[in-house]
Amino acid sequence: MYSLKELTLLDENGKRSDGRGIDDLRPIKITVGVVKNADGSAFIEFGKNKIIVAVYGPREVHPKHMALPDRCVLRCRYHMSPFSTDTRKNPAPSRREVEISKVMRESLEPSLILSDYPRAVIDVFVEVLQADGGSRCAGINAASVALADAGINMRDLVSACAAGRIADNIVLDVNDLEDKEGDADMPVAYLPNLEQITLLQVDGKLTTAQFSECLNKAIDGCKLVYEIQKDALMKKYFGNELEVKEEV
Amino acid sequence: MQEIKRRYVIPGDKIIEGNYKPLMNVVKSGNYLVSTRVGIAEAGKDGVKVIPLSGVYIPRVNDLVIGKIIDRSSLSWDVDINACFFAHLPAQDVFGRDFSPAKDDMGRQLSIGDLIIARIVSFDRTRDPMLTVQDKDLGKIPYGEFIKISPTRVPRLIGKRGSMIQTIEQATQTRVIIGQNGIVVVTGRDPDGLSLAAKAIRLVEEESHTTNLTQRVKALLNVQDPEDPEQPESVNASADIEPQTPQQQQQQPQEQQQQQEQQQQGQQPTSEPQPPQQQQGQQPTSEPQPPQQQGQKQKGQQQEEQQQQQNTSKSSSKEKHKIDNSEKSSSNNSNNDQKEKKQE
Repeated sequence: MYSLKELTLLDENGKRSDGRGIDDLRPIKITVGVVKNADGSAFIEFGKNKIIVAVYGPREVHPKHMALPDRCVLRCRYHMSPFSTDTRKNPAPSRREVEISKVMRESLEPSLILSDYPRAVIDVFVEVLQADGGSRCAGINAASVALADAGINMRDLVSACAAGRIADNIVLDVNDLEDKEGDADMPVAYLPNLEQITLLQVDGKLTTAQFSECLNKAIDGCKLVYEIQKDALMKKYFGNELEVKEEV
Repeated sequence: MQEIKRRYVIPGDKIIEGNYKPLMNVVKSGNYLVSTRVGIAEAGKDGVKVIPLSGVYIPRVNDLVIGKIIDRSSLSWDVDINACFFAHLPAQDVFGRDFSPAKDDMGRQLSIGDLIIARIVSFDRTRDPMLTVQDKDLGKIPYGEFIKISPTRVPRLIGKRGSMIQTIEQATQTRVIIGQNGIVVVTGRDPDGLSLAAKAIRLVEEESHTTNLTQRVKALLNVQDPEDPEQPESVNASADIEPQTPQQQQQQPQEQQQQQEQQQQGQQPTSEPQPPQQQQGQQPTSEPQPPQQQGQKQKGQQQEEQQQQQNTSKSSSKEKHKIDNSEKSSSNNSNNDQKEKKQE
């Protein structure tokens, strides 16, 4: 915990509360294929966030009346474990979790070719084991990698990153403290190859110029995250080889 | 058309720019062809495709699948074929056209939990897959070792013209039935052979995208290729270094004995399910490029087989026939695939 007297979100040297510069991401590590029972899975450590994602499907829809005749149904469940925060979190789905489940589903849907799997369902389970701000972005990143691991047809991976405003400065990847004490927070999900935005939320006040700067910075962050996602998938499937070695 | 080098791709990766035909797991995005799956991208004269390395089984008409009976209604069985939909096996297919739900007891033929090998006769976007067991070598699987692998690894497990699976079968004296849905059933008398075959299948699954897999499988099975003097040193070394377990040492004489027994018997007992060799032809043409050595080995294997065929005329002529059939069916299947693509 911190006391307000000691709190400096951004010092005179441009260092933030956790020692990062304004354009620095937190350290990110993605591991693919951690849940053997699932069709695809990923574990992400995004700073202090620890999130596990499991993807099941395409599989038969239950209840059957939910099935769509022309495309696949995508279901997404974002859930925070009771031990993921400082004080115990009630494991029942809260208003916030229901909302994040919805925005995650909507941010992942454009990347998937759902018409390839009519009358089926894809289930995405996002379980937050430890939360430290930006867990929806981290969840989207892991979910996207898990969907690719499950072998579902995708137009592109989805990369997500937040930007925000603290002390009149636009900073990349706001953490829990900056989210609570800062002036604005903008999570963005982005399709890096198609250059399309699939999620854009803003919490706080931004001028038009600040909004543009914030969005551009978040997109730059997404591109950095994409490289990490790509490496994680490549490592899982191809080891350290980057090109196919022809058999002699 | 310009040939591009095969390379690893993930969803969203641009494979090639230009007016190429998207074949499999590829979509057009602007002037680029983009991969939709994690896999190996290939571009040839026909078009561009990605061989996927992950994913669930999507049923296709004429696929041979191994399924488990999970439920039964008055007119059909529901079968779990490891896909996103349950398949249906009509009772008329098993009992004949004069099937009567009042007179015939469906439980007498197939009960819940039974494994069957069946062919998909119809499936499209609007209906669940429909199965048939009215064909040679189809029907209930009485016993065997059940192994589940990723459906994307099935073509690799079968190998070019069934080379990989033949190697495993011959070395372990087992019969391997492969469903296109990733379910494999191994049958045989020798428990050591069964476990060795299962081990080899697991090896193929885990290392399916790597090079020299056939040689590694042969090293695991302790198979030597007399007609391949130019075998890479590393493989020879690994085969030499690998300590032989007593079981492996005993295995060869056992195999010889079994072969002799089989020759005396002429044929395998009819109760043992025959492997559906036709499925070997069903592998998509997406199989990674075979090395030239493998081709030579196959020739060598075929020569050996021909020698064996002379000895055991009945069973081996049957096999040869099946291989011929598989080749034909592979060409038919590829034609069908192309037709389907065109229709789409």
